[in-house]
Amino acid sequence: MLISYNWQRELTATKLDPQEVRERLTNVGLAVDAVEERDGDHVLDVEVPSNRGDCLSHIGIARELAVIEKSTVHSPKPKVENPEGKISDLARVEIRDPDLCPRYAARVIRGVKIAPSPEWLVKLLEVLGQRPINNVADITNYVLHEFGQPLHAFDLAKLGESRIVIRRAAKGETIKTLDGVERKLEREMLVIADATRPVAVAGVMGGEESEISSTTQDVLIESAYFNPASVRRTAKLLGLHTEASHRFERGVDPEGVLRAQERCVALICEIAGGVATADVLDVYPAALPAKSVELRPERVEAITGLQVPRAEVLRILTALGFEVREDNPARLIFTIPSWRHDVAIEEDLVEEVARHTGYDQIKTALPPASLAGEYHSSERRKRALRQAMSGRGFDEAISLSFTELTEDFDLIAEFAGRGRESAVTLTNPIIEESSRMRQTLLPGLLNSIRHNLNHGVRDVCLFETGRVFVVSEPGQLPLEREAFALAATGGAMAADRAQAERELDFFDLKGAIESAVAAMNLPPLDFKIAAVKHLRPGQSAAISIEGARVGSIGCLTESLAGAYKFRQPIFVAEVDLTALLEIKELPALYSPLPRFPAIVRDVSLLLDRKVTVAELLAFTLNLKIENLVATRFVGSYEGEGIPEGKRSVTLRLEYRASDRTLRDEEVDRMHIAVVSALKIEFMAEIR
Amino acid sequence: MRDQQPQQTPDEQLDHISQTVRAELKARFDNIEAQGRATLSPSEAEKQLQDLKDLRTKSLGKKSEFANLKKSIGRLPAEGRADFGQRIQQTEGVLVQGFDDEEDYRKRLIETSRSERESIDVTMPGRRPRPGHLHPVTLMRERIEDIFVSLGYAVEDDREIETDFYNFDALNISEGHPARDPQDTFYTTDGFALRSQTSTVQIHAMQRRGAPVRMIAPGRVFRRDTPDPTHNPMFFQVEGLCVDRGITMAHLKGTLAEFVHRLFGPETRTRFRPSYFPFTEPSAEVDYSCFNCGGSGCRICKGSGWIELGGSGMVHPNVLRAANVNPEEFTGFAFGLGIDRTCARIYQLDDIRLLFENDVRFLEQFR
Ligand SMILES: [Zn+2]
Repeated sequence: MLISYNWQRELTATKLDPQEVRERLTNVGLAVDAVEERDGDHVLDVEVPSNRGDCLSHIGIARELAVIEKSTVHSPKPKVENPEGKISDLARVEIRDPDLCPRYAARVIRGVKIAPSPEWLVKLLEVLGQRPINNVADITNYVLHEFGQPLHAFDLAKLGESRIVIRRAAKGETIKTLDGVERKLEREMLVIADATRPVAVAGVMGGEESEISSTTQDVLIESAYFNPASVRRTAKLLGLHTEASHRFERGVDPEGVLRAQERCVALICEIAGGVATADVLDVYPAALPAKSVELRPERVEAITGLQVPRAEVLRILTALGFEVREDNPARLIFTIPSWRHDVAIEEDLVEEVARHTGYDQIKTALPPASLAGEYHSSERRKRALRQAMSGRGFDEAISLSFTELTEDFDLIAEFAGRGRESAVTLTNPIIEESSRMRQTLLPGLLNSIRHNLNHGVRDVCLFETGRVFVVSEPGQLPLEREAFALAATGGAMAADRAQAERELDFFDLKGAIESAVAAMNLPPLDFKIAAVKHLRPGQSAAISIEGARVGSIGCLTESLAGAYKFRQPIFVAEVDLTALLEIKELPALYSPLPRFPAIVRDVSLLLDRKVTVAELLAFTLNLKIENLVATRFVGSYEGEGIPEGKRSVTLRLEYRASDRTLRDEEVDRMHIAVVSALKIEFMAEIR
Repeated sequence: MRDQQPQQTPDEQLDHISQTVRAELKARFDNIEAQGRATLSPSEAEKQLQDLKDLRTKSLGKKSEFANLKKSIGRLPAEGRADFGQRIQQTEGVLVQGFDDEEDYRKRLIETSRSERESIDVTMPGRRPRPGHLHPVTLMRERIEDIFVSLGYAVEDDREIETDFYNFDALNISEGHPARDPQDTFYTTDGFALRSQTSTVQIHAMQRRGAPVRMIAPGRVFRRDTPDPTHNPMFFQVEGLCVDRGITMAHLKGTLAEFVHRLFGPETRTRFRPSYFPFTEPSAEVDYSCFNCGGSGCRICKGSGWIELGGSGMVHPNVLRAANVNPEEFTGFAFGLGIDRTCARIYQLDDIRLLFENDVRFLEQFR
């Protein structure tokens, strides 16, 4: 809101220069964003907090400034000269919806001369960034800036039957507002109507038809107090934000309605001529009660740490308009001024005292140590996961939680089997096509991969952890799980090299996820070939831990890759991180170091390519040969020299006794037994 | 014939041996001196090393005249024996040194030449996998968590989709408050809200833990802002809460001053301005002196010398009551700050939408 420094000086005789005013207002919570010199004046742009509607005027700001400077506000004492006649002879006012309009005051001025405003008024409005219109309209705006009370001037002749009816709009009613727009009204909107039709949207904007024009002779000046929530709703529905609605939404002073009107009418008579009625039609069916609030003076220190003398507490509050109703040592009771809609409880008064004493006067201290700090119970393991992933060359992604509707992906086991109707849907998305809460992290990562490919980066390894959602029982909060997902494509990059050493494959991704799980100190994951909707058959696996399925891994199907316009293989994995975090960590236990050397023998088996390494390893383990302590995978080979449908797998078998060094002949005996068992079991040939 | 020669004294014999060996050393390698040592090739040096070794064995080895002379010491008369012993040791030292010097010279020459042959370009890049990078929001969140954990705060988290009670009612955000408007807050078709601040976590935590409590809640929040260079409809913030007996605004000021010292450096100052939030009373906007210019004004702080940290204040009694904490017994402060916004300031991002595009060239810049 723009404030004229010169006007402030008239109101408070301030001794502060504009920059000082800026600083002091900022310190009491009225942040001044800028001070600009304009036409011999200084304009302060004040950021008024949304609860301080009373400060949306020059008098309101002057009140704060006077408390700061320990001075007084010289507010005008308007008095209409030579009024004549009764308004009830000229107009009628009826409030049909007093819940939305607690007070409405009308007064008529006859015989005004509509003309441009005098120069001082034009200049002042221009300084405040307002376009001058004509003398009557400008005076209503002037009083709005002065008292914060929006006023409206109707051309009395245009009001059917000279009536004002304040009511909710009827279904289907429309109005052409002052900005020339024809607007549809809704049942919940409050309007000012004449005998037949709406002539203004209450508290928001007047209608074009009853507007003051150069031929206007008699005007009706409206000054009212409208229900703030109602004005806010209406303004929002109409998409109309006006100086008036801005103030009504925040609450004007219901007891200031007549004073502002008197001021406005007096100025019109003075500047535009005319004779005002001697009385006012002030419809105020149920006066808003004056509220009071208690302050125990010691609470100021208990809450803020400030020691403010009682006399100063009283000075600040009374200068702000709070009246002492009761004053005894234990408590003070104040009547809340009618313009302070923000004050209701003791803490509100404490804040008034604190901000006018100065937040800078509050000492700084750390609270006494009493509690031990602690990370979230999962944080240590999540940090280990993130470190492991970044150590493996994966960059951490964070994607928006909103996504488009998709059925292309299998979800984590916890969400499995849920269709498109399981997506949590937003009623009011901000990005039209992203109206669902993500059920999987994969589309977000794939979009990011596409973004990178589009920018010429072809080697991309990303991981993300974050919440995924599905709906629950009707009326219940949606399910939230944390997921951990990876996506990788391109080559295996080394630092500071221009070229990848080789292309990434399934086993890079598998290795990365295994590293993460190991870093979290969890039991190893199991991988089993499985059909997964978004993964290429034959290159897709289900991931389980301790027998429970937690996710999937594999190569993106060609159709999905095509939909994303990927021209290189993309490997993705997703696991249920919530499930992983529920698993107990492996304890670290010492086992004695072997005292005798191991003897190793390699064997290369030519076998059906469907036989898995997991089966081979499980088989040798199950042979339960005491001195066969480990079987490890060395390599797998297909291609030249290997018949179609077969592959060669090399295993390394490790033999050791705990009480002696094994002799070669002993090892040979055992090894031959193992190898022949493998040959029989898997119909393998030895290469 | 030897017998007929006049009997030499041991001293004379020693002089003789010494002269002979020196002469042989010199005679054999004089030509090196003449040609200049630099021209000696590594292979020649190898050969000469062998010659030197042979000559050393012949002159000083077990079967040499010198060895015989040494053995004869025991037979010398007692007086003069010690003197002679000393002389023979000295002479041996000198001769050994002569051999060593010649050998060392050649060994060094051979080593130098080999090192040159096998030298590498140490400026070629080291062999290491490409490092991955944590997201700047994660890095900032970890830093903030570390500071508050060390100050005695527990880190908490809770749901992202919330009921109106936790997102609004319990935070003293009244019915009809603009924050509840679907213009500002996302709603699901089931009528739940995407949390618009992590203060929701404070209510859950107070209900779980009771008072006293000290906690921070970092997390994802949602507000219905159209994406632009300074807005995202989703962002990250940290809310903090400290409730105990006797907590005042002085503790709020002290805590946030300590926090900015640790995050931005000990010279950072803080400024508290009165403000308004429904969930605190009194409320304060917190600024810190610009980390770039120190307060004199620059581009980052838009010339003011101050940067907005976030909102804060004393917990509104209605909020304490909503969490079953008695406001007559306990007071507390709360604060909230944007993680992405702080990131944007520190890293001087001109468009915060970059944060969620996951462009590798962007992510690579943070450590
Ligand atoms: Zn700066």
